[in-house]
Amino acid sequence: MKNKNTLQKYNLPESIEFCKECTISNQRPRITFDENGVCSACNFAKHKQKNIDWKEREKELVLLLDKHRKNDGSYDVIVPVSGGKDGGFVAHMLKYKYGMNPLTVTWAPSIYTEIGRKNLDNFINIGGFDNILGSVNGKTHRKMARNSFLKMGDNFLPFIYGQTNFPLKMAVQHNISLVMYGENGEVEYGGDMTLANSPVKDMSHYNNIFFSDMSPEDWEREGISKSDIAPYLGPTKGEIEENNTEIHFFGYYHFWDPQECFYYCVKNTGFEVNDVRSEGTYSKYASLDDQTDWLHYFLAYIKFGIGRATSDTAHEVRDGKITREEGVMLVKKFDGELTKKYFEITLDYLNVTEEEFWEVVDSWRSPHLWEKDENLEWKLKCPIWIE
Amino acid sequence: MRNIRIIARLDIKAPNLVKGIQFEGLRKIGDPSKFALKYYLQGADEIFCADIVASLYERNSLLDIINSTTNNVFIPITVGGGIRSIKDVTSALNAGADKVSINTAAIKKPGLITEVAEKFGSQCMVLSIQAKYRNSGWEAYYDNGRESSGIDVIEWAKKGQDLGAGEILLTSVDREGTAKGMDIELIKAVTNVVTIPVIASGGIGNLNDIGLAVQEGCADAVSVAHVLHYEELTVNEIRQYCIEKNIPVRRLSVDGA
Repeated sequence: MKNKNTLQKYNLPESIEFCKECTISNQRPRITFDENGVCSACNFAKHKQKNIDWKEREKELVLLLDKHRKNDGSYDVIVPVSGGKDGGFVAHMLKYKYGMNPLTVTWAPSIYTEIGRKNLDNFINIGGFDNILGSVNGKTHRKMARNSFLKMGDNFLPFIYGQTNFPLKMAVQHNISLVMYGENGEVEYGGDMTLANSPVKDMSHYNNIFFSDMSPEDWEREGISKSDIAPYLGPTKGEIEENNTEIHFFGYYHFWDPQECFYYCVKNTGFEVNDVRSEGTYSKYASLDDQTDWLHYFLAYIKFGIGRATSDTAHEVRDGKITREEGVMLVKKFDGELTKKYFEITLDYLNVTEEEFWEVVDSWRSPHLWEKDENLEWKLKCPIWIE
Repeated sequence: MRNIRIIARLDIKAPNLVKGIQFEGLRKIGDPSKFALKYYLQGADEIFCADIVASLYERNSLLDIINSTTNNVFIPITVGGGIRSIKDVTSALNAGADKVSINTAAIKKPGLITEVAEKFGSQCMVLSIQAKYRNSGWEAYYDNGRESSGIDVIEWAKKGQDLGAGEILLTSVDREGTAKGMDIELIKAVTNVVTIPVIASGGIGNLNDIGLAVQEGCADAVSVAHVLHYEELTVNEIRQYCIEKNIPVRRLSVDGA
């Protein structure tokens, strides 16, 4: 299989550099580093911790909510949730603190984990929420996951379509003009900073950032029928405008701290942690829903040298939960760890043999990141612990 | 009946006292030395402090922790987290600890329990067990409640006693930090099979939970963290409650210790 040119595809710098303050590297697409070698996410975290008047932001939130509030029994805000701590926090705050009437929407994972499904049920039943679970034709979803893995090196593309488009579609269908997300990932975790001081999600960025240049419509030429593609499509631009749809980030209005979302949801929505830590990282309270999601993180490790432990430690360092030194230790210990629990089930789901699997994976290893050691095992050329 | 001991538990991720829920999402609470002193002055019988992430981070911050907690605290102190050898035990005791608590290293090398007990005496060797309910029984966990060893907790407790442990610190991973009550079935199951003292830990949310752990679970001591750190209870309130419930506890003079 031909080796992919990731440098070009993702516009990556050839020389690897790590942020002086957290554990992220300059290989994260779209991230920028300042003249002191500090990443945009760290600078934003400091800005967030020091310069923002959160009381003022709360006033802005109340004004926004009052503009969309209906008070007639119908839903007035869409909150995308998985059943996890972050969406759970946003939905619960909006409903029980600010008196909104949210319709929560969930885009189903490829294969639910037991804990993921339990947490969604707890969120609905203990937290007290109406929820629409978007479950698509599993055969189509599986085919798309397979093909996007083979062609784009990411099994998660069909999930991301739905994650992005389904809430919007529900907003239009239910005449709800406000969609409230949790944090703006680009700003919080490093990426495009143009919206750092904006509460609103910019629609024009959708295609080129989240969809790896392949939109749902493009699947027709891969043999997926129009009717099978339809569930993945968002509303048209005209429908979105006619509905006066606004997409906002709760993280703009309220100090965003995932750890505190966890405490809040244990108390209010019956959230439970997993039995053991997630493979590839040290945490047991984040991204618990999908048996195949490890591969999404693993492929980021292959393409960018940034696995789940790197992403987790980077934001925990910024949030002041751990030190950089602790973060480096955790990266060394867990990053890129291959799953034992879900390996077989995922390959079976994607309908690939182990040989095919590694052929695809290895085709995404860029020579600027990877080399083979004396035992012919792949290793990172420049890991953070030997900076 | 022996006096029931009230033990204030300090989980530390140097340099901070931390507290999680089910060992996850560790929140910084403050300076451990201030909390140790506060609980001593409130009349705690013992202090338990552990570098809760020592195994996870494969490091050992124990001496710093002992130094930061033993100043002006004149009750028995048990330390744990990252003790892997006789040498580690020696330095912990030299630094001022009265007992050591071992989990991960004992799971990986059970003989260490015997070595410690033979060299320093059983009274000094506390076996720490992080118990997580799975399927039909409890499994022993390590690495701050993150890794499952596959070892059955009841069997492990018996074996620990046979190997020379003088005491068991039994923490329910399911209840830890939740303040939703202790796993009484777990406590009972362990106290039923060992004769050495069992310290019940994890899940205390109110005074009644303590009564249940002692009277139904037959615990010899309770380890208290959440309700103390968040100032929902004081050690003295716990002691008064025990006296009212006819649970034997150490009687204090008016000035505290």
